Amino acid sequence: MTLMRLTRACAALMLCAGFSTVALAHNPMCECKEIAGEQIQCTGGFSDGSGAPGVTLDVIGYDETILVPGKLGQDSTLTFKKPSAEFYVLFDAGPGHVVEIDQADIQPQ
Amino acid sequence: MSKVAAAKSPSPLRAFWLKWRFHINVLLLLVPLGFMPKYFADAALFRGDTGIGERVAGEVKVGPWSLTLAEFRNEGPRPDPAGPMKFFNAALCDTCADQVKATYLRIGKPRSLRAAGVIFFGTPYRMGAALPVPERTPADAELWVTMEGWDGTLHQGFIPLSQASPATIAWLNKQGVKP
Repeated sequence: MTLMRLTRACAALMLCAGFSTVALAHNPMCECKEIAGEQIQCTGGFSDGSGAPGVTLDVIGYDETILVPGKLGQDSTLTFKKPSAEFYVLFDAGPGHVVEIDQADIQPQ
Repeated sequence: MSKVAAAKSPSPLRAFWLKWRFHINVLLLLVPLGFMPKYFADAALFRGDTGIGERVAGEVKVGPWSLTLAEFRNEGPRPDPAGPMKFFNAALCDTCADQVKATYLRIGKPRSLRAAGVIFFGTPYRMGAALPVPERTPADAELWVTMEGWDGTLHQGFIPLSQASPATIAWLNKQGVKP
């Protein structure tokens, strides 16, 4: 019994030591998918699990014109009509905290 | 027959454990010794005693400036909820340390300054950035560095990913080509 308890304690200690080096970063994340009615829905957030309400999400043409300037809603999503021109989505949480999603990477419905 | 005599005597192993368990526990002090080489290697890496990273990739020329790029660890990207991440460290050239406001890193040529990639954090002598590596990155991809000066000037330069991080190329090859 004692041996078992000791083994368990050692295992728990080693598990803690193993996880102690995991960095706690929060990188920006964004995912877009096509939904019904020629619309695209993008969801933003951070890798620590937090949402991104109010964060800028722009739809930009390949010629760098902003087709849809937007901000994520309270549910961290933004829905917009699929532009006819070639575009990419830019989730912009500040300089160096961006996620780019090319139109080719948006899953069709 | 008395009750004591009737009790079953413990096995030799159990008897040994009961007798010596306190003294044997001293051996637990040896456990941390096994972790010490890795601990000191990590401590030296984090402090910068062993340089800016485990593997220095080389000098990247960025307009009038340059930076020394290094892999923080000589390994492929690490899994992250935001996708596989590769950690790079960098040091600005001695003369440009006070001229450069921000340094960005991206796989492929940036479309604009807004989409210049991830930003380097830290002092000019030892900065770090976590670069997302899409699984469908081609093996001949380039790592682009964008530098923004305090005077508003922008300069770009690149280094082949195969030169910046052979471990990442090996990781991409292992993943296979994604559609």
